[in-house]
Amino acid sequence: MNASTARRAASPPGGTAVPDTPLLRLRDVQKSFGNVRALVGASLDLHAGTIHALMGSNGAGKSTLLNVLAGLLEPDHGSVEIDGEAVTIGNPQRAQQLGLRTIHQELSTVPDLTVLDNLLVGREKESGAGRFGWLNRGRTARQLSDLAAEFGITRLDLATEMSRLGALKKRAVEIVKALASEPKILVLDEPTSGLEDHEKEALFDHMAQLRRRGVALIWVTHHLDEVFRLADVATVMRDGRSVATTAVAELTHASLSRQMFGESVELLADRPAARESGCSSSLREVPALRVHGLSRRGVFKDVSFEVRSGEVLGFAGLAGSGRTEVARVLMGLDRADRGVVEVNGRTVRYRSVRSAHRAGLAMVPEDRKQLGILGELTVAENISVSRLRAVSRAGLLDRRKENALAQSYVEDLRIKTPGVSAKVRNLSGGNQQKVVIGRCLNTEPTALIFDEPTQGIDIHAKAEVYRLVRSLAEQGAAVVLISSEISELLTLSDRVVVMSRGELVGEVGEVGRRASQDEQSVKDQIVALATRAA
Amino acid sequence: MMPGRRFSRLIGTDGAAIAIALLLVGALFAVTVPEFAAVGNLRYFVAEEVPILVITAAIALTIIVGGIDLSVGAVLGLSAGVSLWTSMSGLGPVPSVLAGVGTGALFGVVNGLIIVGLRLNDFIVTLGTLNVAAGLLVVLTGRIQLTGTDDDAYVAIARTPLLGVTTGILIAAAVAVLMHLLLRYTTFGRRVRATGLGVEPARVAGIDTGRVKFLCYVVSGSLAGLGGVLLASRLNSVQAAMTSGYELTAVAAAVLGGVSLAGGRGGIWQAVLGALFLATLRQGFRLLGVDPMIFAMITGLCIIVGVVADRSLRDLANRLTLRDTRRSIGVAQ
Repeated sequence: MNASTARRAASPPGGTAVPDTPLLRLRDVQKSFGNVRALVGASLDLHAGTIHALMGSNGAGKSTLLNVLAGLLEPDHGSVEIDGEAVTIGNPQRAQQLGLRTIHQELSTVPDLTVLDNLLVGREKESGAGRFGWLNRGRTARQLSDLAAEFGITRLDLATEMSRLGALKKRAVEIVKALASEPKILVLDEPTSGLEDHEKEALFDHMAQLRRRGVALIWVTHHLDEVFRLADVATVMRDGRSVATTAVAELTHASLSRQMFGESVELLADRPAARESGCSSSLREVPALRVHGLSRRGVFKDVSFEVRSGEVLGFAGLAGSGRTEVARVLMGLDRADRGVVEVNGRTVRYRSVRSAHRAGLAMVPEDRKQLGILGELTVAENISVSRLRAVSRAGLLDRRKENALAQSYVEDLRIKTPGVSAKVRNLSGGNQQKVVIGRCLNTEPTALIFDEPTQGIDIHAKAEVYRLVRSLAEQGAAVVLISSEISELLTLSDRVVVMSRGELVGEVGEVGRRASQDEQSVKDQIVALATRAA
Repeated sequence: MMPGRRFSRLIGTDGAAIAIALLLVGALFAVTVPEFAAVGNLRYFVAEEVPILVITAAIALTIIVGGIDLSVGAVLGLSAGVSLWTSMSGLGPVPSVLAGVGTGALFGVVNGLIIVGLRLNDFIVTLGTLNVAAGLLVVLTGRIQLTGTDDDAYVAIARTPLLGVTTGILIAAAVAVLMHLLLRYTTFGRRVRATGLGVEPARVAGIDTGRVKFLCYVVSGSLAGLGGVLLASRLNSVQAAMTSGYELTAVAAAVLGGVSLAGGRGGIWQAVLGALFLATLRQGFRLLGVDPMIFAMITGLCIIVGVVADRSLRDLANRLTLRDTRRSIGVAQ
């Protein structure tokens, strides 16, 4: 099944003369993991001296494509050409030889080593180490200090431990480290994540400088505004395909987001009906979840909010703003130093996660693979695990009961699985997430916390998760939704609160009832709150 | 031509590989060494392996929960000593059994408290308590000659012939069966597996992983204690260092049986089959007159080969299962 991709010819940026053969050409690259087709057909032409944005929502296949380029994954199908010659990347060392360097979103530097030692890793030969494995720090410093200075890394910084640098400098070290091997192609995965606004500006300067050097940049980002500021060409991926490649000059905000979300945009944007009744009648009710003055030293402080039955409260904020940490305390995974949590007016006494479950709290955690599913266990075992008492007597499991319970969730949540005794590991991401949701529902929660519930799942599964979140609220659950996608928050929430640096800094009310033309202003408001200086 | 679903299920069954290997090795020795299959020999050699079988079940449990209890061998020896000493003091069979099992349980509690309470590494902590137990046995055997009790009831615990074998063998078999049931059919067992697969996701799912782990160490220690009682009862004599190295044989047996050192994967009976496999090899080589040193080397090689074979089979089974899964939910190939 060869997916023919809808590619539009990329017109050369800025009208400058660009050789006909692209520096890098990907054709119909495909990759599956078990049952999940992460890349259905990705194609891309990259020219020297351009900044080529690679866009797409979570689960669009960007990271898989990046891993192919980094030599970490072998594609199942398709070709990779560099300078018109077909190549096999195979492993990261080979990628480097081919002039391909990737700067991953997660930093690859070692925090306890100095900047210089981090730069030395992988270039021991050039440093003249060679024989006996002695490291020649002096030579490396001489070789790289000019380059480092160009990216704001002083000689003093070179002797500093990585862990003591700020976010921007850490990125800069990664860039210098990558440039030291003189790559022709540099892949940047969300390089602005975790950077302050002024740091982003500095990073953009660095990127423009790379373009001047003639390096071809593949820049993965989901910030439309940044793309319009800096990129020359944008390739949009959706559901594992590259759906369009367009010169940025020919794009508008609207056309780009249409490319990103496609026809599904309506499905996702459609707002729940019957919001009015849910909010107005509940004024006198005790809130389903009330959090007051919750603090955890050094992590977040004085967090207070209420969620009513039938209400979805969105939590906006940057990564590291403390949202997940609040959720962990609510679930009894971490302890609060101060503050009260009440469910239906009763104070929760935390001893373990089980006490949170018993009080009526349940959480769909972030990072499904690490924290959510127990991949080696079956669907049934994953669903029952939070409340084994319901499927056992005197400590003995009743398999028939367990399977029947799981079967009912498989049907209710429309989990696509060959059966309840299939290992969860073998399901697709969206279905794994639904299994985790089923597990939470099985604890019969009053309040449900969703932490980045659509991370890494495809757009159709995403739509289904949206529908589930909504219908759970309609059935009377109080929902806390933590998400880094503002559009997701706006689509699902009644109110959105914003966290920044461990504090609740503001609230944007009644987002569900605003007309859609207000959406941009609401977004701007949220972003302003989330990023305001301390 | 791909093999069918039944085949994928067979080789995907945990323990299939070790069961086949055990049968093959057993058959090989039965044909080549006439004495091997003689009933008396067989019974004797299985009886000799009883302590190893019991601590294999124990160590498999702690490996599956995501840790490892290296102290089982030494604790088994110490418990044997304490139990025999109690019996020699004339306290009767019941207190002697309790003393042995209690010694093991005490070590289990200590291991569990240190590992869970202080969040220390399982390997290091139990390596420490291994040496403590071994040292205590040296002290004990240095003070008192543990060379036999007059209590016939005590000796009868492991030695009484029953159903064609001995009570010791039957008790070991019962331990294996019970441990298997515990792991597969109880809520505790489910929590053990979940914890072993990942402490964090298990905690998020509401499992008190610390408690689960602690209990596993207590069970492990108690089993080592029971193994010690069976050893002392059968030999009616305990010397220092007589059980040194048992823990490594048990780890090897568990791993051969497909218990993953990463935790969460594998089962008790597969581990016990691994122990029987190693025992069969040892007995066969002994009858063939192979130098014990060479035997040790061959055992080592067997472990590595066995683990590689087990993993290859597992990969193959996973691929086949995945294909079946794809078919049944209608995903295009």
